[in-house]
Amino acid sequence: MTSTADALSSPSSLAWARRRGSVARFWRSYRTHRTGLLGLGALAVIALVALAAPLLVGGDVQSVTNAPGSALDSPSGEFPLGTDQFGRSLLGLLIWGARISLTVGLMAAALSVAIGTLVGILAGHFGGWFSTVVMRITDWFLVMPTLVLAIVLATVMSRSVWTVILAIGVTSWPTTARLVRAQTLAVESRPYIERATALGGGHGHIMTRHVLPNVMPLVLAQTTLGISHAILTEATLAFLGLGDPDVVSWGGMLQDAREAGAVSSGHWWYLAPPGIAIALVALAFTLCGRTVESVLNPKLGVSTR
Amino acid sequence: MDTEIPRSTRQRPRTRTLLVVGATALALAAAAATPLNPAPQQAKAAQADAKRTLTVAVSQSIDSLSPFLAQRLVSTSVHRLIYENLTNYDVKDNHAVPGLATKWEPSPDKLTWTYTIREDSSWSDGEQATAEDAAWTFNTMMKDEGAATANGSFVANFKKVTAPSPTRLVIELKKPQATMAALDVPILPRHEWEKVGDFSKFNNDKKFPVVGNGPFVLTDYKVDQYVKLKPNEKFWRGAPKFDELVLKYYKDGDAAVAALQKGEVSFAANLTPAQAASLSKTENIKVNDAPGRRFYALATNPGARSKDGKKFGNGHPALLDQRVRQALFAATDRKTIIDKVFQGHAVEGEGYIPPRFPAYHWKPSAGQKIAYDPAKAAALLDEAGYKKNSAGKRVGKDGKPLDFRILCHATDPNDKAIGKYMQEWWGELGIGLKVECLDNVSDPWLAGEYDLAFDGWSVNPDPDFVLSIHTCAALPATPKDTGATDNFICDKKFDQLYAQQTAEYDEAKRAGIVKQMQSRLYDTGYMNVMAYPNAVEAYRTDQIKSITTMPESGGNLWGQDGYWSWWSAVPADVDDTSGEGGSSTGLVVGIGAAAVLAVGLGIFVAMRRRSTAEDRE
Repeated sequence: MTSTADALSSPSSLAWARRRGSVARFWRSYRTHRTGLLGLGALAVIALVALAAPLLVGGDVQSVTNAPGSALDSPSGEFPLGTDQFGRSLLGLLIWGARISLTVGLMAAALSVAIGTLVGILAGHFGGWFSTVVMRITDWFLVMPTLVLAIVLATVMSRSVWTVILAIGVTSWPTTARLVRAQTLAVESRPYIERATALGGGHGHIMTRHVLPNVMPLVLAQTTLGISHAILTEATLAFLGLGDPDVVSWGGMLQDAREAGAVSSGHWWYLAPPGIAIALVALAFTLCGRTVESVLNPKLGVSTR
Repeated sequence: MDTEIPRSTRQRPRTRTLLVVGATALALAAAAATPLNPAPQQAKAAQADAKRTLTVAVSQSIDSLSPFLAQRLVSTSVHRLIYENLTNYDVKDNHAVPGLATKWEPSPDKLTWTYTIREDSSWSDGEQATAEDAAWTFNTMMKDEGAATANGSFVANFKKVTAPSPTRLVIELKKPQATMAALDVPILPRHEWEKVGDFSKFNNDKKFPVVGNGPFVLTDYKVDQYVKLKPNEKFWRGAPKFDELVLKYYKDGDAAVAALQKGEVSFAANLTPAQAASLSKTENIKVNDAPGRRFYALATNPGARSKDGKKFGNGHPALLDQRVRQALFAATDRKTIIDKVFQGHAVEGEGYIPPRFPAYHWKPSAGQKIAYDPAKAAALLDEAGYKKNSAGKRVGKDGKPLDFRILCHATDPNDKAIGKYMQEWWGELGIGLKVECLDNVSDPWLAGEYDLAFDGWSVNPDPDFVLSIHTCAALPATPKDTGATDNFICDKKFDQLYAQQTAEYDEAKRAGIVKQMQSRLYDTGYMNVMAYPNAVEAYRTDQIKSITTMPESGGNLWGQDGYWSWWSAVPADVDDTSGEGGSSTGLVVGIGAAAVLAVGLGIFVAMRRRSTAEDRE
């Protein structure tokens, strides 16, 4: 091992070792939380089912013309959760619907947190009138009822999955923005930021190399929590008939059930499974999010060891 | 480090709180699910000491309460109840019977009709209803464009309307008109309506009670909440038996059915097959499944245009080809629609006028019929120049794929369901279909911004109106105007036949021409009737003792051609002590499902609470 090679490799390898170490530390701490493990386990199962849906049930499950059953059959050996008004297997639809519900949840939460982080860091870093203006805009979004705004957006734009993602994403970022801004202010008041500035670090350097890594734990926790919110909102929008009518999602199934008159005619097997699925996934993400938060948040992290 | 111990001890109670929350929610759910729900009794008790109210669940919004503007079924149904037309339809066989007029006859040259107006009909403010009111109503519609919006087709051919005496109305025509005994025009009180300035803006919904002379008087109306009507004690045919008639809004069909099950409403229409099946097993509820007076069609945009010749909208150019229109219909399996979507509560569509009106109903001959035949549809499309490309999509000569949009009513589950089927049937042919479900389809519809649309009209005993909406005369005057046209159809041959039938006073001959018109319409492929949906409705037998359907044997109740159902409804004895009609498994299950969600939510909230607690520490 030559000295040059050593000099080249050591900083990055050191960094990687440090990252590995922190991940391991994170995991050690995470696995002490039973609820977090429970949520993670549930999520793993659901994600696996959603990914394997083409193998488990096949895309044909959505087809109305090739529906195998008759309308609104009660649960039986062939259809463990019964059938919908077209005679399609509800279990198959439930599994297939997990894909959309999870995709929308993840994407919308990611979008919302991305916007929130960007706004929060910018506002926190630059301060002054810029911060005031940006935060007033944030406040405006914060006081707007999310659902109403999302409904308006989903109504104005064409009906598609992307519309729903966008509608949820652009309406739910203000909380993240506020949190991130506070964290940014806290980080930037530390002496090493001053040192970095003195050594010639520009705005971009400070924001991406120092502030962002420090707000990342917060962002990560916020994302995990945001997903359950996004899934619930997606289900709400689909239930209100604002989702993409061409795709099967859990909220959409509830809407279909309502339209078929399943509520008043007592076909519980149509209503209960998607409802329970939504509740379970939202719960699982919340459990994980809480745990991640308490592991990563320095103020809470110590106590839970 | 000193916080370590207290925190970890606090962790346990928290999980316990969580469990408690869950358990409470479950207990609540159980409580709600057991049949101690007191609502039905309350409803009954309220009914016993107060007036006997007939509550009807409706979902369609009222477009206007002015008879000059109202076109929707719910509005015209209200108008049937509060105003008299010159004639009414017999409840048994739809022949014209006296309304405000007791007698009507044409002159030998067919151009002058004389109506004798009854003397025992008075407006609800005490004034006598006379021929003068009728003449004023028709004259206003003839003079004022705004007043002709809804029923202009009836008076388009009128030359002069006069009232030589209070009991005599004389209508002179330009050309003979066969619909003179079936003028579905509510006669309005002149002394009230003369004060109105702009008829195209006046909605008749500010001053209550509304002055009328029908079996009911409109006493109150709140947009999308209720329409309240009181019986007209002086009504010449006899006052209705109920003390009040309320049309109550339930935008959600399930909510309406739940209200029916609980006894909050006496009547609900437009049931889904599942609801009908479950209600027919419920005590004290009678399900009425009658042949409907509606047709349910696939309309194709023939290229929207106005009378001044301007084209507008953005209908797909491929639909201008008759072969494409017929191919689409040939690739639509009507039998599956009846069996799967309507689940038997409909009749397969053929001609334009439903079989409920046997005199005018028409069937295509075996050779003419466009049966479900995907192979023939493919051949037609090939012939029209839309061949399948390597990706299995049909493309035109310009290389553009054949992708259609279909306008669907977001409020009608059948539209959405049939849209799903069409996507698959037509997808196999290589045609793309985008189902655009909107709460308000009128805007794109009137602007001609659609390719295909789910369309349906309630047909009157006299077919003139539903035929008139497909004539060139019904097109809007300019692209900015709203015409009476349904689907921008303007076909010379159809118009010729329409003029012929209007002038034909011989009923059998007229029916023959009407059938030819339907044949023509069928061939053009602009209006493809897929089904005649049944009227599936239900009412509480412990609140309504008897009610007249129309036709009297096996007919429907909501949206009749007349006021027969609500006028004839007899309340059930109020001291009726038939038990618990309301507790249904459906409701219990619904609450159960909601409870499960509530548990999830409870847990969720508990977690959130916990988090904020932690944050505060």
